[in-house]
Amino acid sequence: MIVDQIIWLPILTALIIVALGEKRSELSYKISLFISILVFGLSVYVLYLFDPTTSGFQFVLKTQWIERFNINYHLGIDGISLPLILLTTFLTPIVIYTAKTTSKNKLHQYLASFLLLEGLMVGVFSAMDAFLFYVFWEAMLIPMFLIIGVWGGKNRIYATVKFFLYTFLGSVFMLIAIIYLYLKSGSYLITDFYYLPLQVNQQIVIFMAFLFAFAVKIPMWPVHTWLPDAHVEAPTGGSVILAAVLLKMGGYGLLRFSLPISPEGSMTLAPLMITLSLIAIIYIGLVAIAQTDMKKLIAYSSISHMGFVTLGCFVFFIEGNALNPATINLAINGAMIQMISHGLISAALFLSIGVMYDRLHTREINDYGGIVTTMPKFATLMVFFALANAALPGTSGFVGELTVILAAFKANGFIASLSALTLIIGAAYTLWMIKRVIFGPVKNEKINQLNDMNKLESISLGLLALSILILGVWPKPLIDLMNESINLLTLFITGT
Amino acid sequence: MLINELYFILPELIITSCICLLVLINSLAKNLRQYSGVLIGSAAMMACIFVSLILFSENSVDIFNNHFRVDNLATGLKLVTFITTLIVILGTNTDKLNADSEIILIELFAVLGVLILCSANNLLTLYLGLETLTLSMYGLVASKRSSEIATESAMKFFIQGAIASAFFLYGTSLIYGLYQTLSLTIFSNPDINNSIELQLALAFIICGIAFKFGAFPFHSWVPDSYQGSSNSVALFISTVPKIGAFALIYRLLITSFIAVTEFWTILILVLGLMSLIFGNLIAISQSNLKRLLGYSAIGHMGFVLIAISIGSLEGAQASLFYLLIYILMTSVAFMCLEVLSNKNRSIVTLSDIKDLNSSHPWIALIMLFSMFSMVGIPPFIGFYAKWIVLSELLNAGMLSVSITAIIMSVIAAFYYLRVVWYMYFEKTELPVMQKGSTLIQKSTLSIIGVMILLMGLYPSPMIDFCKSIISPFILID
Repeated sequence: MIVDQIIWLPILTALIIVALGEKRSELSYKISLFISILVFGLSVYVLYLFDPTTSGFQFVLKTQWIERFNINYHLGIDGISLPLILLTTFLTPIVIYTAKTTSKNKLHQYLASFLLLEGLMVGVFSAMDAFLFYVFWEAMLIPMFLIIGVWGGKNRIYATVKFFLYTFLGSVFMLIAIIYLYLKSGSYLITDFYYLPLQVNQQIVIFMAFLFAFAVKIPMWPVHTWLPDAHVEAPTGGSVILAAVLLKMGGYGLLRFSLPISPEGSMTLAPLMITLSLIAIIYIGLVAIAQTDMKKLIAYSSISHMGFVTLGCFVFFIEGNALNPATINLAINGAMIQMISHGLISAALFLSIGVMYDRLHTREINDYGGIVTTMPKFATLMVFFALANAALPGTSGFVGELTVILAAFKANGFIASLSALTLIIGAAYTLWMIKRVIFGPVKNEKINQLNDMNKLESISLGLLALSILILGVWPKPLIDLMNESINLLTLFITGT
Repeated sequence: MLINELYFILPELIITSCICLLVLINSLAKNLRQYSGVLIGSAAMMACIFVSLILFSENSVDIFNNHFRVDNLATGLKLVTFITTLIVILGTNTDKLNADSEIILIELFAVLGVLILCSANNLLTLYLGLETLTLSMYGLVASKRSSEIATESAMKFFIQGAIASAFFLYGTSLIYGLYQTLSLTIFSNPDINNSIELQLALAFIICGIAFKFGAFPFHSWVPDSYQGSSNSVALFISTVPKIGAFALIYRLLITSFIAVTEFWTILILVLGLMSLIFGNLIAISQSNLKRLLGYSAIGHMGFVLIAISIGSLEGAQASLFYLLIYILMTSVAFMCLEVLSNKNRSIVTLSDIKDLNSSHPWIALIMLFSMFSMVGIPPFIGFYAKWIVLSELLNAGMLSVSITAIIMSVIAAFYYLRVVWYMYFEKTELPVMQKGSTLIQKSTLSIIGVMILLMGLYPSPMIDFCKSIISPFILID
């Protein structure tokens, strides 16, 4: 089965690489690059085989795993998970390709961690059994813990332990909710949970339990504080995967678990969720302006952008008295596009910061200035990514935010206008950073001696720029891919 | 008839004859001492594993005038005991120090005690097994004769153990006074009524059991004796006696005195929760690895006990599953320490394992498996243990207990992560550079280390094993 291969090929390769040892890290680098590109190829092949006109799961694989508790090794892909899988398999080769520039120490373990992470992330997005989902979800903490802890910056141990404990605490409540749902339904199949007749009170409790897990991952205000620490201390590759894929698992969880399992619970708590999203969008956006560390700035900008995802997931609940399927569809589409787009843009920005960090070994904005004079090619791309982050029309960032704001307008004009403030705040923090880092007078002698991007860096950043542009100009293929699955989700939310 | 009965105690006979043989060799042929323990011990264990696999297919019987019961539970627990002891023996350093103190000989005595506990069907037999086990454990803890800490901890252990035995014996005598019998078969009769005297007796007995498990507030010997004894002894006393303790609790509480289930479940629940909370909280501040593992063991026993406190067979299955997984994880952790230590340098504190990933990547990886498994992160087997206990707790409607348990395991995650961070993130001037552990030790460690991962990927056989040995007792004449 092809999904199975996408999950296990990287994981097995990771084991082989660890076994090969430190001395053969050059060989490991080649193997892992080859395998990650192969896996990307496989997932593109899945895209080719995928039938976007049906709403159910495709490429389903089901074998018995733990008989006594009716747990199956059950995989499947639908229109919501496929884009996220593609995002994962697209970014992993880039991270591995650029691994050499950031990590020299124990390169083989670094590569193995990322391959392991890739397999586990695809597992999260394709698990149809809640137990299997939880296994992949939690297992991912291990490679991430090591990536930040071994290859991170000065304060890495504090950051990685904080990251681990935060996410672990969040997800144990999800485990209790999953076990509870199993005891009710007699099966761990996620889609079986959708049909459970649950009281509103039960739904609220279940929703809160899942929310703990997802809110920490997304991360939503006020449980976001682990993210800036983790991002700042993580090596470039770690930041890229963290921002681009790990955060998306929270959003994916909301769409896969919270909304369809507890629609009435979601409806009751929607005002809370919308408030938290708006706080993330506006307040965290303002916090981002004040940052002096580039990585921290992008980290806060990530939280702010993820606010749009949560807003899109809940804003339709407050539209009038009855739920309007058209708004639901629009809002969730917006949330999904925003997730994919933020995945690409934040990955690109962290890689760009990585390019500068490799040269000057500082992330402080004040240490930079006038990069454009010595690195014109790099400056062009960096400015493009920054504009995409500020949602310039023509980039994918614009499509996602606009769709969510449109849906919000249908629901409530006031909320929409508040969320639209991000267009100003986002532009403020990104462009101000760009002004200080890229433009202006040359700050010091070191910048005068900088070399422009090498081949490795230009290929990675170029690919990302290209995909951001394509998605921004022509998002229709992505929308078509997700449409049927989102329609089905809409049916579960409206309860018909 | 007697010959027939001897067939069922074949494992006990094998162990006893090996003990005699070892005593003879150690006193007569001193030059054979160094390897005789390991050789005879592991051969005995392998033979016993084979025999108990055969006995597994037999029907349950009560022999020796109903004093001794050989059923699935007994045979299953014995099988686990043999496998664990085999691992311990293979992992023990064969240096002169260990050989001189005749560690393996005493361990065999302790195993004999556990075997008697597993099969005991009479309070007196139970007590015999308990004392055989406990007395051997005193000897083991005191085996580092030259060390002051060892002597101190053995003394502490002995005093507390003696008090616990007295408690147990007093409870037993109360029960005898009430019913004029000590046979557990009679106590499993549902007609036995609830009375305040019986509750008092059980409370005393539970104190004795809690001591064996090392549950709060009878826990203080655990970290002390781990710290005082050598790594291989710590490996033994942290695993094998717990199997005996489980047999004790199963025979005495779960299948007997059904009328007072409500009473003892509360006691066990309180003991379990207290162990969970105190064990894990105190472990956070430990910098000595062995004390850390000691407190972590107390926390794990909390999980085992709260699963027992559900009071059903399913709860007992979950509890046994947790216990077996705990044994596996702890063996791996202590064996890593044992493999890394040698005559000149013993791995004791967290700073001793700094940057282990650079000097011994494979052992560091196995230790990482064990640590993350203890945290309860899938795909390692420790996660399934926690999950099954939680499932059964929720199934029994004990939501607040399960939330407490799960929050404590998040808190516990911190100190396990600390071990990983010392191995992987810290840099050191003085890395561990050991030579001296044998190939057998290393390969045993590798096998059980990889088992943590493999069983996690496919836990069904282990779950089914626990289900098959804990099933309603049917006596066939």
